[in-house]
Amino acid sequence: MEKKKDEENSFSRWNALSILVAFSVLAVFLVSPSPSGISHEGWLMIGILLMAIILWITTPIPIAVTGFLIMVMQPVVGAAKAEEVFHSFGNQAVFFLIGVFIIAGAVEKHGLHRRIALKFLGRFEKSPRAFTFGIMLASAFLSFIMPAHGVAALLLPIVVSILIAMKAIPRQSNFGKVSMLAIAYGCSIGSLGTPIGGARNALAIGILANEGIRISFLEWMKYSMPVVVMAIPAVWLILQVAFPIEVRDVSDARREIEKQVGEMGSMKRDEWVVSAVLAITAILWIFFSSPEYLGLGVVALLGSALLFFTGSISWEDVEKRVPWGIILLYGGAITLGVGMNSTGAGSWIAGAMLNAAGNNIYLVILSLILFTVLLTNVMSNVGAVATLLPIALGVASEFSGISPLLAAMIVALSGGFAFLLVISTPANAITYSSGYFSTRDLLKAGGVVNVVCMAIIFAVAVIYWRGALGI
Amino acid sequence: MKMFENILLPISSEFYPRNAMERSVFLAEKFGSRIKIIYIIEEKTLEKADKITDVYRTHYEKEETEVEIEHEYLSAADRIIFDDAKEFFEKRGIDFQRKVVKGQFSDAIREEMEREHYDLVLMGFEKGCLLHYRIIDNSYAPIWIESAEKGREIILAVCSNLAPNLKVPEMGEKLSKSLGWELHMIYIVDMQDNVAVDGQGQRSGRKSESELIDAGKEFIREMGKKGIDVKMVKGSIEKETIRAAREVGAGLVIVGREQKRTGIMGIYAKTVRKRLVEKCNYSILLTN
Repeated sequence: MEKKKDEENSFSRWNALSILVAFSVLAVFLVSPSPSGISHEGWLMIGILLMAIILWITTPIPIAVTGFLIMVMQPVVGAAKAEEVFHSFGNQAVFFLIGVFIIAGAVEKHGLHRRIALKFLGRFEKSPRAFTFGIMLASAFLSFIMPAHGVAALLLPIVVSILIAMKAIPRQSNFGKVSMLAIAYGCSIGSLGTPIGGARNALAIGILANEGIRISFLEWMKYSMPVVVMAIPAVWLILQVAFPIEVRDVSDARREIEKQVGEMGSMKRDEWVVSAVLAITAILWIFFSSPEYLGLGVVALLGSALLFFTGSISWEDVEKRVPWGIILLYGGAITLGVGMNSTGAGSWIAGAMLNAAGNNIYLVILSLILFTVLLTNVMSNVGAVATLLPIALGVASEFSGISPLLAAMIVALSGGFAFLLVISTPANAITYSSGYFSTRDLLKAGGVVNVVCMAIIFAVAVIYWRGALGI
Repeated sequence: MKMFENILLPISSEFYPRNAMERSVFLAEKFGSRIKIIYIIEEKTLEKADKITDVYRTHYEKEETEVEIEHEYLSAADRIIFDDAKEFFEKRGIDFQRKVVKGQFSDAIREEMEREHYDLVLMGFEKGCLLHYRIIDNSYAPIWIESAEKGREIILAVCSNLAPNLKVPEMGEKLSKSLGWELHMIYIVDMQDNVAVDGQGQRSGRKSESELIDAGKEFIREMGKKGIDVKMVKGSIEKETIRAAREVGAGLVIVGREQKRTGIMGIYAKTVRKRLVEKCNYSILLTN
């Protein structure tokens, strides 16, 4: 017990040290003169950025609290006025996120996602390999319509119960490893597909809107889907090679799925209603979310209101299932992005980077991808995108070959490539708790998956976004 | 009295070392031991998942997931681990009990050892997991860490200037006789920490190399009287142990309570035992 106490004490000492280092860094920026080419406000914004990076990586406080600290520190150190900071929080992407969480809450409450997942898996029970591909597709598809971490939490018990029925031994069964990693990676890749999958997508849309670039739901999909479509089979193949599946027969899996489908019974009234609302919302998002029509946020809130009108969700459910902390995180992240741009800090860092990288456009694109992937693996995805997006926009303003949209898409999508560590993304942490794969397995597969996905996004950025679409 | 009358076999929800269960069958058959399996639902893993999903999921959702994960752990314990135990033990008429607890691996083992007396803790070890294995440094009973790699029927007993060298030779001899395995013994003079440790575990002041070698020779003479050949080697205890284990193809390496201090600050290298477990590909028996 004493030992435990010691550990707790050392843990809080570590927290205190992290906080001290973070604020000391900010203090250094506060007292030191700004270098030439950057305003003092811009210099202070870089200090706040570094403070946020330290706090997001070491997490001595919840990452959402770091989000509102970013907002608080801007007026405190004199980097921006309070009105300016809170003005940028009022972006419609924040309401899009709230709406998405309410709709996802209704889907979760009535178990619609479970039914979709089981139906999906039922179609891939021909062979063990096909089954793992089915898991990956189910994870990705569900991450198009609800937040990825919710999908991971849903699929974990379903797939674990199937693995147990098949007597797949945790840590020893390659089939178990591939199945679990297929959930984690499928969710991460799927979350790139639509603005719903990850808060970082909404963040990118929000920051771009502040730059006067508005992206609709369909436009987002037009940019992101090639990455998803290429990454899913590539990653699935890597998993097959990294962990050759030892199982030959999936009849136990079939029986377990049939059992679970049987337990669910036929579709209930609320499931039909939620499906209909989801379909209507999706149609509105696809056809009417462009700026000249309704916009993403209005459609999301309309869908949420429909759920209340039909009695499919109550306010109590919203309180249970909407993580308000992410709104604060989002708010902090967007004010950071706006502040970095308006003070010229993003351009200044970008200028320094370009001096080092030279004028090779391919090298600049590769650097953006590499920095984002490295950062997103050691801190929150939203934090990584919030940190690098203003710099990427700075790169776009300094470098004629790269548009703000291209730079933002590179960072936003690379921000989803968190495959290496348990701490990289909630989907990794949730699936790790199954006990079916080790941190080494994650590192082994994640390293290759990261490199391949970086190559995919590089190819898509150069050939499709820049070459074919001309963005 | 039997050498290992009561064996504790802790299995964490973090990972299931099936080879440790197979080894417990072997030992139980040799020594007529009773086995108790405790399945530990790792709070640490659940907490980690909780912390990382913190801002993304509500308290209610996290609780929902935790309940589901716990349910799956119990299901895995019942349908895989305890099923295996029945298969392994019941068929051979080995007396075994099972228990499920929720907590942290080392704490759960220590609490179980406070409740009942055990002669041996038998477990697996995995580097790629969240467990700290603090129990390795503070267990009253010997800990047998079964490796996935099978060595030959050879025991390597490791003595050095940094340990009392009482239990290791004794355990080596007894096991060699009971199991019929060949016994090899080495004495390592570790000059990275040039002190001698006495029978009570007290460290001496700094000694010269020749003094430490003389002490080693004295130990070798004592062992010679019992008919045991000991090879003296000079170097770091970790490296020399691993090298010797590889050379003889040891199926089991016995290590005592080495008290090595390293670095300019003279800080205890608490991880000597843990580092050995991490680096050595053979099964290790840690005595106290």
